[in-house]
Amino acid sequence: MRARLTLILTLTLVLAACAGVLGIRRDASHPFEHRAHVIKGVSCNECHAGVASAADEGPVHFPETADCLRCHQKPHDTRRCDGCHGESQVRGGAELARETLRFRHDKHMPAVHGDCVRCHVEVAQSRPEALRPTMATCFGCHEHRDQWQVRACNGCHVDIAAEATPPASHVVHDGDWLREHGVRAAGARDLCSSCHSERSCAACHGVGTTPGLPARLAFDDVNLAGQHRAGFRSRHAVEARAQPGLCTTCHSESSCIQCHQASNVASGTASRSPHPLGWISPMRGGGDHGRAARIDPSSCAGCHGGAGEQLCIDCHRVGGPGGNPHGPGFRSTKDKSRDVPCRACHGLAP
Amino acid sequence: MVCKTVAKRATRYSLRALAFAVIGYMTESVATAQPLRLRADALAETSAPTGLVVLEGKDQVRPWFDVEGLVWAGARTDAAGDVLALALRLHDPHGRGELRAGRFVLATGAVRPLQIDGARALGRTSFGTTAEFFGGAPVVPRFGSLPYEWIVGGRVAQTIVSRATMGLSYVQRRSHMELADEEVGADLAAIAVPWLDLASTAAYDLTSPGITMGLASIAARYKNWRFELFTSHRSPGRMLPATSLFSVLGDFPSENFGTTVRWQAAPRLDLLGGAAAQIVGGEPGANAWLRALLRLDDRGTSSLGLEIRREDVVGAQWTGARGIASRTFAHVWRFSTEIEIVLPDTPNGRGIAWPWGLMALAWRPGKGWEAASAVEASASPERRYQLTALLRLSKTMVLP
Repeated sequence: MRARLTLILTLTLVLAACAGVLGIRRDASHPFEHRAHVIKGVSCNECHAGVASAADEGPVHFPETADCLRCHQKPHDTRRCDGCHGESQVRGGAELARETLRFRHDKHMPAVHGDCVRCHVEVAQSRPEALRPTMATCFGCHEHRDQWQVRACNGCHVDIAAEATPPASHVVHDGDWLREHGVRAAGARDLCSSCHSERSCAACHGVGTTPGLPARLAFDDVNLAGQHRAGFRSRHAVEARAQPGLCTTCHSESSCIQCHQASNVASGTASRSPHPLGWISPMRGGGDHGRAARIDPSSCAGCHGGAGEQLCIDCHRVGGPGGNPHGPGFRSTKDKSRDVPCRACHGLAP
Repeated sequence: MVCKTVAKRATRYSLRALAFAVIGYMTESVATAQPLRLRADALAETSAPTGLVVLEGKDQVRPWFDVEGLVWAGARTDAAGDVLALALRLHDPHGRGELRAGRFVLATGAVRPLQIDGARALGRTSFGTTAEFFGGAPVVPRFGSLPYEWIVGGRVAQTIVSRATMGLSYVQRRSHMELADEEVGADLAAIAVPWLDLASTAAYDLTSPGITMGLASIAARYKNWRFELFTSHRSPGRMLPATSLFSVLGDFPSENFGTTVRWQAAPRLDLLGGAAAQIVGGEPGANAWLRALLRLDDRGTSSLGLEIRREDVVGAQWTGARGIASRTFAHVWRFSTEIEIVLPDTPNGRGIAWPWGLMALAWRPGKGWEAASAVEASASPERRYQLTALLRLSKTMVLP
């Protein structure tokens, strides 16, 4: 009986701890009791004095302890009311909005006939995530279609790039965003540049950016996603083999040579060859190099491009021992006797 | 004569009026003055050689003119000091058009991202049509050889009732005046209903006729769930400039068909998983991964994470696991650690496991200062073990 009681007690404690950790149960502060005040017939303006005539600048109109004491004349505590009544992230959201958005309550109040809940819809909920209206709520009345078309965000956003607030209702960076961002940005590169500076793109898509990659420069931010996160240097060969062509999206075929030369894993240096045994073997239909080159030709071009192509041509020229390198599906509009690179082999034909 | 004088005077007045009108138009929607933002990062590593300083500046000089620069100083074996981005942007405050010139990353529609020294002009109409044109020379590291010398192209796009955008693009690359590449592309992005969106793009090679690259993704949201289906097609041979000998080997595409699912299982717990079937060079393969992130506070400043991944493609078969933990103390200190282990199926004498680990401590005392240090340890196919110490000092300044 005692053991069962201990087990139940332990499980209860574990569950309670998990609830706290997972965010199911929040800590000390709790949402302000807006609903209770509304039921008592307290209007928003009584506590948020002056908000109805508030313009673009000035303080956020949160009530002070003195405002509460006008009604609650016998407080249960001597501390500030907003220490427990009201959540820090809600206050933070409102302060951030005051700082980063252009908004006038005085212009909006007549339009909603003084009905604050028309925009602050979450007030009615028992556990609102935020009391600041979402952008989707704004779009309910203001379509902003023209501004959206021309990416003119500064009608509402003071400095959207510096604001650094991830969008919550549109262009949400959700799911496997690192893989998705390319296709989603394709149709709206200029939308991306509303918030992201050149650095955001250049840090990864620039040339020779290895040490300044976001994941490398901000090594202490382990939450930061990145293609080259953690032990990528160890994995890069197998990752490249698993996704041929993916590397070429950012890197030119000459990107490999810099690192490989520095690590003595490249041609033309006093180095070891990165290729396994049987790479080129006249006895085995040429060896493994042909298949590897077809699957990911850019990795070959990294070292053997340019003048290094002569290595291939020596065998694969017309009439050479290497045979025809053109695989199935090869088509070209080039003039083979005149254009580069066709003429390198076809021009040498006897 | 009189008529000519009157005409000249009228012209002069007209031009003056026009100039005033233009200036008035430009300054009409003057926002509050935008400050100059500067950031400097100094990174030092014990793995040779060492030292990198990244300087970043961004300023909106006028409502119609801004400038941005990102410069690297110092050097490493795998990168030299260089200007990574230096772009001037002239733009209409009303968003009708812009001109960007300098060094920047060009990415639009089906044109693959490329860092260029060049210019890009863009114009928009209020009925949702966008036209852009670009041209420039590709940036190459140090004294690297140019894969081609010039790139020129453009894109025309139309937005339809704020729900969908369709674009058509064209790009050509030239080397020694000879055509190195020529591609047309199409892209589509649509939000059919608020919970369903799709995006796709495809590029077609005109030099070696065939699809160079195609990507598509469709995502749906329902409560705390998000589902995505995606596919990709890449033809590596066509992604090389057609002047490269390696572009003649034929069409051996790499294809993916997969799905990802995200579930916010609890307010602070995100679960994300994905799986894809692959065809690489005609051989079937697959990959799957699972990621969990538990935030230890509402803002996510402290967190725990775990990721497991399996890749099973011929020549690239491995299993990996990665764990992260970060904890913030007294608002200014953050301790973080990250551990990864990769187990290749066929070690080939390059080690049966490739472990990697990092422990970092960061300090943010405020006023724009940041300092972070870390120790990184690893065993890789190239090195039996490696120990690296890292140090970063950052300062962000906002000048009025």
